[in-house]
Amino acid sequence: MKARPAIFALLLFFAATTGLFSLFAPRFATASNMENLMSGFSFVAILAIGQAFPILVRGIDLSVGAIVAVVGMVTFDLSLMFHVPGFAVLPLVLIVGTLAGALNGALIVSLRLQPFIATLATLAAYRGLVYSISGRQLVPGLSTTPITDKWITGLENYFDIGGMTGLSHAIAMPWFPLSFFVMLAVLAVFQFILLKTRFGRDIYTVGGNFEAARLAGIKTNRVIIAAYSISGFCAAMAALLLVARLTTSTEALGTGMELSAIAAVVIGGVSLQGGTGSVFGPALGAFLLGIVLLGLTLLGVSQFVQQILTGVILLAAVSYDRLLVLRQQRRLKANLAAGH
Amino acid sequence: MSVTPLISGKGLTKVYGNFVALADASIAVMAGEVRALIGSNGAGKSTLIKVLTGAIAPTLGTVEVEGVIAPLGNPTEMIARGVACIYQHSNLAPAMSVLDNIYLGRQPTRGFGLLDRKTQRANALVLLERHGIDLDLDAIVGALPTVKQKEVEIAKALALDAKVLLMDEPTGWLAAADVARLHDTIRTLKARGVAIVYISHMLDEIFAVCDTMTIMRDGKVIAESAVKDIKRPKVVELMVGEKLARDSAGAALVGRKPRGSGAVRLGVQNLTKRGVFKNVSFDVHAGEIFCITGLIGSKRTEVMHALFGSDQFDSGTVELDGKAVKFGHPAEAMAAGIGFVTEDRHREGLMLGLKVTDNLVMATLKKFWRFGLLDRGGIERSAKKSILDLNVQPPDGRKLVKLLSGGNQQKVLLGKWLNLSPRVIILDEPTVGVDVGAKAEIYAILRAERDKGAAVLVVSSDLEEVMTVADRIGIMVSGQLKAIHDADKVTMSQVVNEIGEAA
Repeated sequence: MKARPAIFALLLFFAATTGLFSLFAPRFATASNMENLMSGFSFVAILAIGQAFPILVRGIDLSVGAIVAVVGMVTFDLSLMFHVPGFAVLPLVLIVGTLAGALNGALIVSLRLQPFIATLATLAAYRGLVYSISGRQLVPGLSTTPITDKWITGLENYFDIGGMTGLSHAIAMPWFPLSFFVMLAVLAVFQFILLKTRFGRDIYTVGGNFEAARLAGIKTNRVIIAAYSISGFCAAMAALLLVARLTTSTEALGTGMELSAIAAVVIGGVSLQGGTGSVFGPALGAFLLGIVLLGLTLLGVSQFVQQILTGVILLAAVSYDRLLVLRQQRRLKANLAAGH
Repeated sequence: MSVTPLISGKGLTKVYGNFVALADASIAVMAGEVRALIGSNGAGKSTLIKVLTGAIAPTLGTVEVEGVIAPLGNPTEMIARGVACIYQHSNLAPAMSVLDNIYLGRQPTRGFGLLDRKTQRANALVLLERHGIDLDLDAIVGALPTVKQKEVEIAKALALDAKVLLMDEPTGWLAAADVARLHDTIRTLKARGVAIVYISHMLDEIFAVCDTMTIMRDGKVIAESAVKDIKRPKVVELMVGEKLARDSAGAALVGRKPRGSGAVRLGVQNLTKRGVFKNVSFDVHAGEIFCITGLIGSKRTEVMHALFGSDQFDSGTVELDGKAVKFGHPAEAMAAGIGFVTEDRHREGLMLGLKVTDNLVMATLKKFWRFGLLDRGGIERSAKKSILDLNVQPPDGRKLVKLLSGGNQQKVLLGKWLNLSPRVIILDEPTVGVDVGAKAEIYAILRAERDKGAAVLVVSSDLEEVMTVADRIGIMVSGQLKAIHDADKVTMSQVVNEIGEAA
């Protein structure tokens, strides 16, 4: 698939926003701020990459924040209560996240629930599950014990690329967090899957025209469950990065993150109507969101106003998406008229 | 030709709620046979096709491919057995390329689910070359004009290399040259032993390309014949029903009131919407039933929406009782005394989950306001009267509308608008999916409204209906009103010819 103008417009907007903040926000265009951006929003980008899949099949996953919490708490319990070695914890919790996502998908296809409702329900259920399995509450004193397993804490690591390549002699380079590279890897894998595999094509077909997909013999149920599983997997990935940074987990981990993820996806040009977009856009959208929020912080705008702004940005992105759909419908109508 | 049909359906029945879409229909098509499937709207052709492709599961009956019973309602299995279909409605993924759409769900792979783009493109090029289809493989389908999308749809079905190819109005959007090319393709496939089922409203096409025909009416197969053994008038008669034809001939003799009271209620001059309809002019008089007929896609409905304010027009004038009007919103049209019974009663007309009473008074609730509260007693009385007047069965206002039969639902919808006492009432396909008995009742209601002095404007593709109920007939072809006749001075075959003229 050729790169569409939508991506160019997004890149342009990205560059313009960066430029604007560099000019007006103090200390914005600095290496340490770039480091903040990468370490603070790589996991949002990973969530957005995952969220793109449900939205591509014309659904939505509101439960990602709660899945982050479940995975975070399972990691905490396995490591601190059961002393499972880290190399086993990592794959286990990735499976837990994927299964939580698969359950969303299974509910949607088997009970024919609206994705919004199904994942709203699992959001509540998963969050409740976190409290009931919380090692912080079950074992007194554990809440102040940090996770020290090298396999897990090793995920919070920084690389001095500038120093290694000698570039930092010429320009101040940020230290790159490992989470940024994890994000790049996730991005590469899922972009490849979307563009180069039959499964990827099926995702677009199911989202673009469900009936056509069914009649073409595509196993639509499997595709939808897979889409939600990917969302769960990415949530687990993000949870691991967060736990590594905090060296612990809390019951409230990931609260509200679904909003940032959905905003990033829509900003990234994935239509809520399903069937259009990629995962590159959402990843970029997450960092765009990050730039705006960090820039505003540096300008001295309060945290509360920033929350309002996140909402406004989401509204703007959704309205723009709606506008595109309307325009497309009008064009289709014109086509119909011309064809006759 | 072998003796076992390539595809056959036996005793197929499909029931939706109270509506029988398909009633004990059977069909069998041999290898190398091109079978026409014809009938008026709602006769069950598309339903039959969808059962054969597995798109829907029949309520009763069996489907066999090459004499072996096939699983029902499973499109994947039917594709695997070599049954392909060009559906009437788009079955493409709009955001994907033409190349991907042609091989939707079955793009060639190199193992591990990796796409084999090279093979896919090479196969597609061979396919397009062989069938003389001109398409840009990298174009995004959603951006193509509808005609081209239809060609993608055709290419997609041909790419399956199917043994059985079903086509549901494949030529609806195609120009004459493209139709001829499609017919050449059909002949080639036929020579290769493919069994083809071809739905079309164009009798010319059927007589040009088909060997045999199956005629359907009201969900039943009523006749099968070799094309060479049957004459066109006979086909039309079978399609609409001999008895109805005779009845309406009788009805045609009584009660025609062209131009009604003589006063023009609704005057339409040179109504134009660019690229949709052009210079449409007609008058509807108080006390007459004016029917506009034509093929599907001749833009009749679009004209009605423009009149009613639910869509805009570019130029021309509309006069109501001699005064120029232009409605920007349906509410304005309703306030001026125009009612519009839309075509799709489920989507646009009725609240299926509410009671008959609630539906009947929905448009007139204002009349029942008492100090901001609703006068339930008044509502009950008004609804009861409507139910008796319209003969809604069962005569129970508490019944949920979705539990009524199609005909009674239509009566409720009609009653809702009649409660507004409209001076002009527009009806779009008022009897689609309605059984014969209820049809007659609806016609009687329309005549009663007419006799009370309303101007009644009916859009219908059902010629039988037009000939039965109309005082005057307007014929629409490709967005233009070609002719207007007094219904008592024109024969059905004349109307048929004029409808088909430019098509």
